[in-house]
Amino acid sequence: MSATAIAQPIPLPRKRRARPASALLTLARRRALLTSRTPRQIAVPLIGPAMLALILAPALEKATGGLHSHIDYTSFVGVGAIGLVIPLSCVFAALSVIVDRHAGAQRELLAAPIPRAYLVLGNMLVALVLAALQAIVVVGLSALRGGIFHVSASGVAWFLAASLLFTVFMYALAETVASRVSKEEDFVGATPVLAILPFFFAGALFPIGVMPSVLTAIAKAMPLTHALALMRYGIVDPSGRGLHEIWGISNVTVEAWLSLAVVALFAAVLLVVSVRVFTRSTVR
Amino acid sequence: MHMIEVRGLRKTYPGGVEAVRSLDFDVEAGEVFGLLGPNGAGKSTTIGMLTTTVLPTAGSARLAGYDVARQPLQARGVSSVVFQEQVLDGSLSGRQNIELHARLWGIDPVIACRRTRELVSSLGIEELIDRKVESYSGGQRRRLEIARALVSAPQVLFLDEPTVGLDPRIRHELLDVIAGLRRREEVTILITTHYLDEAERLADRVAIMHAGELVALGPPSALLERIGSEILEFRTHGDPTAAVRALRERGAAGEDAFAVGARVTVPLHGRAASEALAVIDGERIGASELQVRPPNLDDVYIQLTGAPVAEAA
Repeated sequence: MSATAIAQPIPLPRKRRARPASALLTLARRRALLTSRTPRQIAVPLIGPAMLALILAPALEKATGGLHSHIDYTSFVGVGAIGLVIPLSCVFAALSVIVDRHAGAQRELLAAPIPRAYLVLGNMLVALVLAALQAIVVVGLSALRGGIFHVSASGVAWFLAASLLFTVFMYALAETVASRVSKEEDFVGATPVLAILPFFFAGALFPIGVMPSVLTAIAKAMPLTHALALMRYGIVDPSGRGLHEIWGISNVTVEAWLSLAVVALFAAVLLVVSVRVFTRSTVR
Repeated sequence: MHMIEVRGLRKTYPGGVEAVRSLDFDVEAGEVFGLLGPNGAGKSTTIGMLTTTVLPTAGSARLAGYDVARQPLQARGVSSVVFQEQVLDGSLSGRQNIELHARLWGIDPVIACRRTRELVSSLGIEELIDRKVESYSGGQRRRLEIARALVSAPQVLFLDEPTVGLDPRIRHELLDVIAGLRRREEVTILITTHYLDEAERLADRVAIMHAGELVALGPPSALLERIGSEILEFRTHGDPTAAVRALRERGAAGEDAFAVGARVTVPLHGRAASEALAVIDGERIGASELQVRPPNLDDVYIQLTGAPVAEAA
């Protein structure tokens, strides 16, 4: 088929750039469209946490008698399962960075008149929404199994702040690793360390105080520990026992702000690192 | 103002690989400028530096007056690139791929829609545009990439080996398309290629690259004039260097006669081919595949670098 006679082109302004919000939304929309075409990216991260919430937590509570405290164990683990769903969801999302690089779509985006940080942020927006939806599903499943939740406006605010900031941290960490490895297989190999190992130390299944003191000290340095304690403070345990285990201060509100600051700091640092690593890895 | 200005552009990769060594050239607005050379000559690295996906080691480059290192966003805003590898989202439709580009380049959605309609019609892909790209053939994907690159009405369009990997019929159709671009779009085109016919057919000027350097620059006709209007070419079974020497000593060849492998090329510059044939016969130079023909850019390239474009790849 040869080129046909062409109509006159429509004149366009010569100098223009997409507004920041528009560019970010465009990138997020692209990522959302691509994600919607790979349902496993949405479903697979949910499987393990859903099993935890639906089966493991009620079974353990029945078998062991729970935490022997005022805290309902099913809802305790229900929130703990979020500590698994968010990392898994972020790892799956960051895998798309490598796919983009190999499939080549990334080069087109790198040639666009937008700051390259937007490529990280646009993907992160979708990761945040997806992780939030998956967290809601896990909490919902836990409630279906009899988990007891204490919902208030301020409590939900703490829960959301902790989960969103932790998602930012986790996605930024996963994206950083994805930018550094060349193959999908290598990235998948890092998944247990990124997503699963912290889950066992951060108080997801039991209070951190029951671990040997060395491990408890390590747990206190992990953002997931602070995030889970905050989420439980928000919707499971208004007394903030988990926060008190970390800080040992008499004022639970101060402890909550301290833990929020820890998660926020980790999120901010990793965000900067992920953007720098991505930018450097994409420009030779 | 030149639309593309390159001054002393250099790229050395870690490990000391000098991919590009001190390039200097200008491209005028509306010109089609060809970068001809084999794989590894530095063409894609040059495009990478001009599109800010490769960081120059030294030198400078400007697109429509914007410095690619100091004003990368502005430089990217006035240009579009069709990469050598296909860079499309396969699970999205052609239209979605184009819309993404238009939004990122800040084109008003209504104008983008109208322009998309125009472009897909002129490029012959309107029936495919709402299908997923993964269902397209190689030639269709290339047309889509060109449509996508043009939807933002770039002032500079980079085409990096646009026809590589396509079958000959599709290649020629695509060359028609690219040739048509300059008739309708107010766009400056820089095209890299290792196909001689592309460079000769499309480019107003051709820069020949070899091992990271420009070895010649000018209109194809001027580059060919270096060799003249006719050449005698043959393969020798004996020593090609001795064959060239004999031809020169007998006055049947000038200093620009050369041999690469067993192939001997003699620019005639108005001399009769029979003179050379007489020397070949008289000196008993074993020769086969004798032919007299017009020169092409491959001959220019060989003369400058000692290897044909295809062999050097």
